[in-house]
Order: sequence, then structure tokens, then C-alpha cells
Amino acid sequence: MANWTNLHKLAASVSKEARQITRDREALLLLFAMPLLFVLIMSLAMRDAFREKGGVVLPIIVVDNDRSTVGSSIVDAFSALPAFKVDTAIEGGATDERSVRADVASGKHKFAVIIPEGTDKNARRRIQRQLRFVKGGTDGAPEIRLLADPAMRFDYRNLASTNLNRALQAIENRLLWEEFAALAGMKMTPERRQAAKEILTGNRPFAEVSAEDAAALGRKEAMPTAVQQSVPSWSLFGVFFLVIPLSVAFTKERQAGCLQRLRSMPTPLWVVMAGKAVSYFIINQIQFALMILMGIYAVPLLGGDRFAFGHAPLAVAMMSVAVSLAAVNYGLAAAAYCKTAEQATTFGGASVLIFGALGGIMVPKFLMPPVMQRLSAVSPMSWGLDGYLNIFVRNGTVRDILPQFAGLVCFAVISAAIAALKLRNIQK
Amino acid sequence: MNEAAVDITGLVKSYPGSESPAVAGIDLRVKAGAFFGLLGPNGAGKTTLISMMCGLLRPDAGSLRMAGMDIAARPNEVKQRIGVVPQDIALYPTLTARENLAYFGGMLGLSGARLRERVNWALETARLAQYAGVRVEVLSGGLKRRLSLVIGFIHEPEILLLDEPTVGIDPHSRLFIYESLRAMNAAGMTIIYTSHYMEEVEGLCREIAIIDQGRIIARGSLDDILAGGAGTGAVEIRSGEALPDGTLERITRLPGVRDVERSGKLLRLASDSPMDALPGVLALLRRDGVKVLSLSHGAANLEEVFLTLTGRGLRE
Repeated sequence: MANWTNLHKLAASVSKEARQITRDREALLLLFAMPLLFVLIMSLAMRDAFREKGGVVLPIIVVDNDRSTVGSSIVDAFSALPAFKVDTAIEGGATDERSVRADVASGKHKFAVIIPEGTDKNARRRIQRQLRFVKGGTDGAPEIRLLADPAMRFDYRNLASTNLNRALQAIENRLLWEEFAALAGMKMTPERRQAAKEILTGNRPFAEVSAEDAAALGRKEAMPTAVQQSVPSWSLFGVFFLVIPLSVAFTKERQAGCLQRLRSMPTPLWVVMAGKAVSYFIINQIQFALMILMGIYAVPLLGGDRFAFGHAPLAVAMMSVAVSLAAVNYGLAAAAYCKTAEQATTFGGASVLIFGALGGIMVPKFLMPPVMQRLSAVSPMSWGLDGYLNIFVRNGTVRDILPQFAGLVCFAVISAAIAALKLRNIQK
Repeated sequence: MNEAAVDITGLVKSYPGSESPAVAGIDLRVKAGAFFGLLGPNGAGKTTLISMMCGLLRPDAGSLRMAGMDIAARPNEVKQRIGVVPQDIALYPTLTARENLAYFGGMLGLSGARLRERVNWALETARLAQYAGVRVEVLSGGLKRRLSLVIGFIHEPEILLLDEPTVGIDPHSRLFIYESLRAMNAAGMTIIYTSHYMEEVEGLCREIAIIDQGRIIARGSLDDILAGGAGTGAVEIRSGEALPDGTLERITRLPGVRDVERSGKLLRLASDSPMDALPGVLALLRRDGVKVLSLSHGAANLEEVFLTLTGRGLRE
């Protein structure tokens, strides 16, 4: 009988919380609009950074002061790459180094290749000397320079310089072929020249190299796209962000004397706490579902990749439950220790941001130095993100998320115990 | 009606870091059906005592029985039989008046048709029926107080504990609260009412305890306490002219006169036995050629009783 009465009280508490939350516009914005926007924005903003073939197009200008086959070969080599858009003059037609440098410095072109006069002649001379086994031949040779936009990322700089070096290698190989042909008395007909160019411009190694994901169970369907990363990351952030409205609502309730009144009534403390926990848990599940739907339907509409839910719905459900329990109970613990709504906002917001930063939400963990990667182990968001990535990116199943699931549930239990101990002794 | 609604023995409660206990060994017995006033200045220990009586605080020592049950042993049963009206308004501002009543009624164990019936009764009793669907955040302070009050007895408790329930409200709402409490008491509910407003306690309570520094320094019926403090009754004499030199000093030396104050042509005597002291005072004034225009003798009030007992005012 007593149990039924408490269940009835629990239902009344959940209903009361739901009414309060749905009437708090600011809390609703914080709980739903903010994380949904984050998922949308980050999925779109990070899209190209995750695409295998690179959706990024880097404008590059090739200034050919030599007016030889070297310049045209470099232009051909970069034009063949989808990551680059090649121009041979800046806007207005200028090709002098000063104008080109200013153009790149302003970011209009991301790179400039400057080929000095005499490059082709120098290259041929060097090859002829090498074929006669004469050392040297490069002293005083003009340098081909690659200028980069100062704001250009290091990996894109590497991409440009690697492709430039490959193009130069191809040119050298072609010149060597021509010299060998001449030495062998072979006439270089236009057909042979074209064939040599086609063979060497491709410049493919003798065996193809391709990278593939080491996904669990040998499945390859999931791609590590921006949306696969952003949906779980920002879902976690949104779920944990409820610490703020929850702890603010709770501290206000205490300040108003409602908690004191409730404790003078024949209602166990666990009913009061569970009433909040269940309500916010339901909100978390709605948040998560909306963010998944956002990834599946809204992100593709705006040009992003479609979120792939994967093959382990039970694992997803387990992670979602564990993350919610951790977030809700952490919110209750924060509320128990904060005396005012201001304290709750500051502490709740700051702790969630720190958990997020450490947990790889804002900066992916693989970009962190080893010390920070080890430190990230203290953040429950890190466990949550690892669990979700195991499912959505690494194609994991229930077995693959058990450590993260257990960690989050333990965190939830400890947080709930801390909250209960503190609230039992609180007068107001 | 003779059994004790409240039976407290040797109750002690200290807060960490505090030099003296908030409640320092209180013994108190309140009969069922009483309208009992707990009077004391701010910080006297009233709220701590009430908090222990409603199970919010655990005593350091002593025993506390409410409605015949030990609250430490059977907290939920005691809580079911008491009602509490806290000092704070203690309502959910974004819920309506009806939703607040329904929620707290539910937490008090009411449900279904009974809950709906009691919510409607409470709205009628508090004269809040027209505000039933209005969010509490837009109600006036007085209306909120009324709502807070009826939540305290929506479940028809045997004992109602009120901790300064009229702080900061308008006279109209205060009157409403007084009327409601009288009606509840008349229906048999035991009421424990704390206040530092002596007028309230004088007007409402038939029995009173005065609490100061965690101890009960006087208790009994209102008449007993006022009679016990009759010595504090003041005699005021208004004269036609200023007192000649030495008259005031001579009055002070008269038997039965404890203290004399002069304010212009008004003479105020404090006497342990005004009726015995007065003939001598009047004879002395006549002898010194002082014409008496008026004379009044006021019975002691709780403020004066408290002043006599503690040497401090209730609002200090």
C-alpha cells in the first residue's frame, strides 16, 4: 500500500516537474534549441574536414616565369587534383611576385607556386650531367617556391608541398625518359611524347594503396563523417547541459521553501529526487531522439552527410540511458551543493564546459597531446563519446560499449548518493 | 480532548559552530484542541523548535511526541497527522493555485476523487476559487499566503504548526488567516502558532509559552501570564503643573513603587502593587501642591511581560 502511495506521489512529482519545465521558455531553449543548433552547425561546418576525397577546394596560383613545359606540367598536375583550383594569374592579370605575394597573404589564393626563369634549362642540364656520372649541377639553380596563406592549416600546407614535389618528380622522370630515348637513338615522336606524359603525369606507384576503416566485425558501412561525430558529441553536451536548468530549478525550489515543506510531509526524499530525475531523464531521451533525427533528416537537407544510425539499437539505447542517468544525477548533486541559482548556473555551466573540453566534445581527443588524452579519462562525457563512437563510427555492439556503460552508471550512482546525503542534512 | 497533542521533554538542539544551543532543554505539553502560542523574539529558537516538531530537524537530546507518537520512531505517521505552514510562502510560482494544491495534496497522501474534493474545498476556504487557474507567480503576496495556509491543512491534520505565517502581508489577508485558524481550532484542530507579534498571540491563543534563548521562560493561559505579570502594570498620572524639586525622588522612596519616569507633566509609575502604592503617591502629590488632572492604570500586556522577564523588548 505504502509502495503504491509512493508511486502515486512519484507520478505527481513527474507531472509537476513536466509542467514547470514546459512553462520555462529559457530552460526549453537551453535544453532543445541549443544542442540541436550545435548538431546542425557542427555537422555542416566540419563536413569537409571529415570527407575522404576532400570537399575543400584550395585556390592555387602557378606563376610560370620560365614559360616552359615545367610550368604547364605543374598546372596539369594540380588541375588533376580535386582539392585544388588552379589559376595562372591573379585578378587583374598580374603575375609579378609582389602582387602574387599580396594576393596569397590576403587569403584570396591559398597557395602560389613561383617558377623562376631557367628552371627547365637547369633541369635538363642537371640530368645530362647525372647521366655522364658528373656530380653536382644544382649549384646556383633557381628555386621553385611555394607561398602559403599564413592562416593555412599545417596539413593543407603538407598537401600542397607533397603534390608539388610529386609533380616535379614526374617532370624529372619524363626528362630522364627523353634523354634515355635520345641516348638509345630512339626518336621521340609526338605519340611517344604523349604516351610518356600520360604515364608519368599519373605518377602512380606500382601498387595501389588505399586506406579502409578497421570497423568492428568487418563491416564497412559506417563512415567517420562530420555528422557521425557531431551528433553524438553535441548530444552528449546537450544532455549534460541540463545540469544548469535542473540545478537552478532545484535551488530556487529550496530557496522558496518548497523542499522544506515537502520534507515536512510524509513523502520520502527519494520520491522528490526521483521525480526530478525521471522528468529530466525523459527530456534527455527526447533531446537525443531529436538530435538523431536532425542528423538523419535535417543535416542532409542543408548539404551535410546523412547520419547513419548503425546496427546496434540496443547499444545505442544503453548508452543513452547511461548518459542520461549520469547527467541527471550529476545535476542533482550540483543542486544539492549550490545554495543559490547564481551558484548553480555558474558551477553547472563551468563544470559542463570543462567536462566537454576534456571529453573531446570541442576538440577531438586525437588532436590532444598525450597528457591531455590521459586527463580526458576523468570526464564522463569522454566515456559517453567513446561509447557512441564505438557504435556510430567503429560499428561496435553492446559488448564494445560495456566499459563506458558501466563507468557512466557508476558515476550516476555516486552522484545520486552524494546528492541524497547532502539533501538529507539540508535545512533549506 | 485532555490527551497531549504535543509532549516534549528535555529537547535540545545545537547547530555546528554556534556557541549556545538554539533549543536548550525545552519541556512542553500542549493539550489536544488547544490554540497554543509560541512567542519570542527573532532568534529565540521558535523555528528550530517547530522544525523538530515537524520532523525536519533531529533533536540532539530529549523526546518529542506528536499526536501521541514518537516522531523519531514513526516520522511518516506523525507527518501524516500534522500540517505545517512554513515562514516562507513555499509555492511553485509557475504552477497555478489549483496545481499547487493538487501537488502538495498528493504529497500528503490524497489522491483521486478525495484529492479533487479537498482541492476544491481549499480553494473555497481560501477564497481563491476565482484564481484557481492563475499561476501563483502573478498572485499578490496576500493571496499567496492564503494558498500557503490552506495547503497546511488540506489533508485535515490533527495538529497544525504555523511558523510566523503572517509576515509581510496586508491586514485583510491577515484577518482572513486569523478567521480561518479560529474556525479550524473550533473544529477541533490543535494549533501551534509561533510569532514575534504579541498582538497576534494575544488575540488568537488561549495558551502561550514565551521562549527566549532556546528556553521557555513563561507559560500558561493568556490570563495567567498577564496576571503573573500584573506587577508590570503601569500607573500614569497627568498633572496640571511640573513637579516641584524633590517630589520625584520622594515618590520613588514610597513603599510599593518600583520605578518612576517623568515625561513633562506625565508621571509613569511601575509598581509591584499599584493599588497599594497609589494612595501614598496621591497624598504626596497633594502635599507638594501638585494638582492631578487624570489617572490611569493599564493592565500588563505581553510586551511588558516579556520586558520584565528578559530585560529586552520582543522586537529587539
